[in-house]
Amino acid sequence: MASTKFILGMRDAFFNALFEFYKKDPEVVFITADNGAPTLDQFYQQRPDQYFQVGIAEQQLIGMACGMALEGKKVYTYAIAPFVTTRCYEQNKIDICAMNLPICNIGVGAGYAYDIMGPTHHTVEDLTIMRALPNMTVHSPADSYCAEALAEISYRNPGPQYVRFDRAGVPEIYGEGNHKFADGVLLTCPGGPVALVATGIMVHQAQKVATELAEAGVKARVIDVCRIKPLNTERLFEYLKGVKRVVSMEEHLLTGGLGSLLAETFSDNDMRLPLLRIGQNDRYVFDMGGREVIWEKHGLDVVSMTQRILRWVK
Amino acid sequence: MQPEQRKALESKAHWVRCKVLEMAAHAKSGHISSAFSQTELLVALYHGRLMNFDPKNPRWEKRDRFILSKGQGGIGLYPVLADQGFFPSSELDNFAGRDSLLGVHAEHHVPGMEILSGSLGHGLPVATGIAQIGLVKKQPWLVICLLGDGELAEGSNWEAALYAGSKSLSNLVCIVDRNGGGVIGYSDRVEFPCDGPRMNPLDKKFEAFGFEVRTINGHDFGEIFTAFGDIRHRQHKKPLMIIANTHKGKGASIMEDKRLWHYRVPAGNDLAVTCQDLGLKSLPIGGKRVKAEQGE
Repeated sequence: MASTKFILGMRDAFFNALFEFYKKDPEVVFITADNGAPTLDQFYQQRPDQYFQVGIAEQQLIGMACGMALEGKKVYTYAIAPFVTTRCYEQNKIDICAMNLPICNIGVGAGYAYDIMGPTHHTVEDLTIMRALPNMTVHSPADSYCAEALAEISYRNPGPQYVRFDRAGVPEIYGEGNHKFADGVLLTCPGGPVALVATGIMVHQAQKVATELAEAGVKARVIDVCRIKPLNTERLFEYLKGVKRVVSMEEHLLTGGLGSLLAETFSDNDMRLPLLRIGQNDRYVFDMGGREVIWEKHGLDVVSMTQRILRWVK
Repeated sequence: MQPEQRKALESKAHWVRCKVLEMAAHAKSGHISSAFSQTELLVALYHGRLMNFDPKNPRWEKRDRFILSKGQGGIGLYPVLADQGFFPSSELDNFAGRDSLLGVHAEHHVPGMEILSGSLGHGLPVATGIAQIGLVKKQPWLVICLLGDGELAEGSNWEAALYAGSKSLSNLVCIVDRNGGGVIGYSDRVEFPCDGPRMNPLDKKFEAFGFEVRTINGHDFGEIFTAFGDIRHRQHKKPLMIIANTHKGKGASIMEDKRLWHYRVPAGNDLAVTCQDLGLKSLPIGGKRVKAEQGE
């Protein structure tokens, strides 16, 4: 099973799981802005009345979703992540959030997943802007097990939602088991006075960094924030018990992202924990060569992050 | 159209304009000129019963869905809705005041309002979503979307028009309040650099997108009723676009087709002149009658 999921990736694990609800519940509708997926064909093949294609027109995607939600539908919209967030941001604000409608936006290509596609396809501000919208729930899963669980979570909790997926080929973190993805915050690697708090692809990087840190004599735990908003502070603080230092790790702009969220949360809760924020600085990235090249050039690779944390800790 | 019916509707339109002026003068806010250009269209839809609706059950399943895309026109729709009984008329007296139900822009929590609008270019995409579901569910109701022509500069309208035409959304009836005026400029005029983009030929544009297009005088009840006569049994399996030629600020001499009055409330002599235009000797503002000559 795990090998199959590896090939499918987050998006398709989600779609396969969503299809079960879509098939049983005629009130679930799916709108795509000319984006496909191997697992998506069954949606229009088996339930053509619930599937709509607007073409490359994301304002229309969200506006139409609003109209359908007003008619009682639970709507899923689908596009590449930047186009379902930044491209139609005002539609997200007015047509979804201000009217508090059951619309779930699915965006593929979180962070630098579309590495060599350049800044038009990089999605490194979505967490900031989407969490700025009242009523919006923001999911940022790290693997296909979490993604699969999000199908039911999104279906059972109708409201404004955004789910950001990486591309296919991301390895698994969780595997089969009873993981509490609905908590939104999970401890993936226990122990240690340093906490690496990460989201999305960076949970994988955090686990590698934790291994490197252990070899250098620094014990670290890894916490996966798979739901950015609303942040489950209770669970977060539970997993931070005994921690002396916190490192946030995100493949995202530092402005308003996960690190900012932690800083805000600590401040609001009078938590005086040293916080090192690792992410992207205030810049667009034009580097070619692939995601690992981007990581290496911008301090997001395992070696750079490990060294930076070691310098900070000592 | 029977002369009595026309007279009754014209009288109602006059009342709506007076009410709008009163609300705006009291709140010192509101888009009067935008409300005045659409008045006959709204009165025809509601008081003329061109639409199916139930004021006691605003979300009645079988109602026609009315989408006010030009949310600035909210002030002009509120008196119509109140007069029909969607909410108490006393709400009009507290327009945009503390704890008011009614804001300057149309909001979805007002009984009779379907969506939040005021940012332009949202109504038509939303209307296509509602219409599409209506077709899938084979429902007889219509979606009626009132657009301003100024907002047609928003690209989202054309994304929606492309979809509506392609998918033959025959239950979608759009009306463009074609008053020509934007905020600072007029479309299809080339007097000043502040004039907006050219909209003409608007009928050809929508025809090319797959709409059936009808052009009428939007202040003439007879023409409005003729345009709407067959909307429930049209032969064309196309969305319908009614281009209603209107005058921004219709009925108020200082505003009519004049610049600067998109968002401006008359005071002093301007208010007095507008009252005279509407045949008012005084205006009830803030619970007391103020002589028109005294203005604010």
